[in-house]
Amino acid sequence: MKYAYYPGCVAKSGAPELYESTARVAEKLGIELVELTTASCCGAGVVNEGDPFLDLVLNARTFAIAENMGLDILTICSTCQGVMCQIKWQLDNDAGLLAKTNEALAKINVQYVGRVKIKHLLWALIEDYGLSKLEQQVVKPLKGLKVAPFYGCYILRPAEALQFENHEKPTSLEQLITVLGGEPVHYEGETKCCGFPILFVQRGTAFEMAATSLNNAQQKGADFMVTPCPLCHISLDTYQKKSAKKIQANINLPVMHLSQMVALALGVEPGKLGFSKHMVSMAKVLSVL
Amino acid sequence: MKTQEVVFRILRFTPERDEKPHYQTFHVKIDKRMTVLDALENIKHEQEASLTFRRSCRSGICGSCAMKINGLAKLACKTRASTEADKQGGVLVEPMGNMSLIRDLVVDMSEFWREVDRGTPWLVWDETLTGSTKENLVTNEQQQVSGKLADCIMCGCCFSDCVSRVFDKNFNGPASLAKIHRFVTDPRDKEGVKRVHELVGMGLWSCTHCYFCWSQCPRDVRPVAAISALRVLSFNSLDPSQGMHHVNAFMDSVKDSGMLNEATLYLKTMRWTTLRDFDLILKLAMKGKAPSPFRRPIPKIEEVRSLYRLILGGKEK
Repeated sequence: MKYAYYPGCVAKSGAPELYESTARVAEKLGIELVELTTASCCGAGVVNEGDPFLDLVLNARTFAIAENMGLDILTICSTCQGVMCQIKWQLDNDAGLLAKTNEALAKINVQYVGRVKIKHLLWALIEDYGLSKLEQQVVKPLKGLKVAPFYGCYILRPAEALQFENHEKPTSLEQLITVLGGEPVHYEGETKCCGFPILFVQRGTAFEMAATSLNNAQQKGADFMVTPCPLCHISLDTYQKKSAKKIQANINLPVMHLSQMVALALGVEPGKLGFSKHMVSMAKVLSVL
Repeated sequence: MKTQEVVFRILRFTPERDEKPHYQTFHVKIDKRMTVLDALENIKHEQEASLTFRRSCRSGICGSCAMKINGLAKLACKTRASTEADKQGGVLVEPMGNMSLIRDLVVDMSEFWREVDRGTPWLVWDETLTGSTKENLVTNEQQQVSGKLADCIMCGCCFSDCVSRVFDKNFNGPASLAKIHRFVTDPRDKEGVKRVHELVGMGLWSCTHCYFCWSQCPRDVRPVAAISALRVLSFNSLDPSQGMHHVNAFMDSVKDSGMLNEATLYLKTMRWTTLRDFDLILKLAMKGKAPSPFRRPIPKIEEVRSLYRLILGGKEK
């Protein structure tokens, strides 16, 4: 397995533990990641609100770089995944828009053809690596741990663009948690928004969104939450104390990046997974393993 | 035709009798053709005559039978009962969210209508066009945009499932904003883009892009896309909001380094309110997790910058 690796901006800056733990997962599973060092930011749905066509062209440039490498793109951020899938979906279904995009890209001698596929690590583990094969690699099962999956928005909706699983009843995280030996916990809010997109603009609302889902998961007995999105991680972990205060709840729920959870079960030393960078301590979870 | 017995768990509430809502279970024999509305009619006629719900056209046009089916707002007449039962092992039927409950599956939609009305949801006629001997033509391109938005049947599904609206009552919601965009894009409307300026105080920046409104709309109106389009138009507003600062800072960051610079994005958006997170920033710094404000540009950054110049030209934000 070899991919054009698009870690996204946050994993390369504010969430280095995600970047590191993904590297450990790839190493353990023999997945070759060729980083797209010349690719630009996906725009996170924000550049789209500055200039939608610019957003489209910048992402098409990224797709073209991967196409020239002959590889599909692997992401580790739901937001990158969602934005890129939406743009690819638009381009692949609108010949006029594709031509206009390629006309702009021609100025820098780039062309997007439409061959590339974009996959989140979660999808790649299920579709390409295979969960039964992954199960065989588990050396430290998450036995005795109740895990709350947090899908959030961008990896599920809009379903037309993402085309991976039923957004109304997703199971991918649940399947992954199960093969890693953990027990999935269901709660109200696992497919809702973490609040991050409005954290800087409508802070109170964002806090209430995050805290409500965290509180629900905690009340269902979750030992930790897992998310495929580093932006959700900021809302759910970094701001957890502040958001809990907003709804006057006593929340203390550790939140793992997807790659950290997989790496742990594959036997990677917890010390190499950057848990010390989290705001909510993972000590209790790690003591169970 | 093959039938299957399906368990319907329905929220019941009779204000004269019940202190709070409760659930009642019904067993219904359904076949593949039946919708959730067919099943509800069956229950009402054969098992529980007092079960109350709105319905009218049975064809996905009037929008009356919107309700939560297995947790998500849908039109009961457009939703196949067997599909829901197969997906979730049964059918949970509840009233729409974000509106007060009146009885059983009937909610008070006045809250929804109030929000729609806030956006002046009608054409403000441009009187300079009055008396013109020419037709007031709308081009195909213009019709493609506003026509799609005009498909909205005001069922309230998007409003029901809007996550922001749960916590932010100042947010007028997806249907209202989609309706505003419908008139902004109508060349016969006198207000045009002026409508957008009023939106900044009405929750234009409260949408999180959760895409529930896109997913749950039975007419494929995609309100979230309309909201993004309104935000683009709002850049000429005389009253710049924090949302605009956020977009501008993001655009600058990608142009400068090709990547998002979290530190400068935060500072440029939050400005003096950054102080509210001083404690958090300190903790992040101690954990070696505070993003650096200095980000090295990606290799070939000149390609990104030349695309900025090409596309934005003189209107660079």
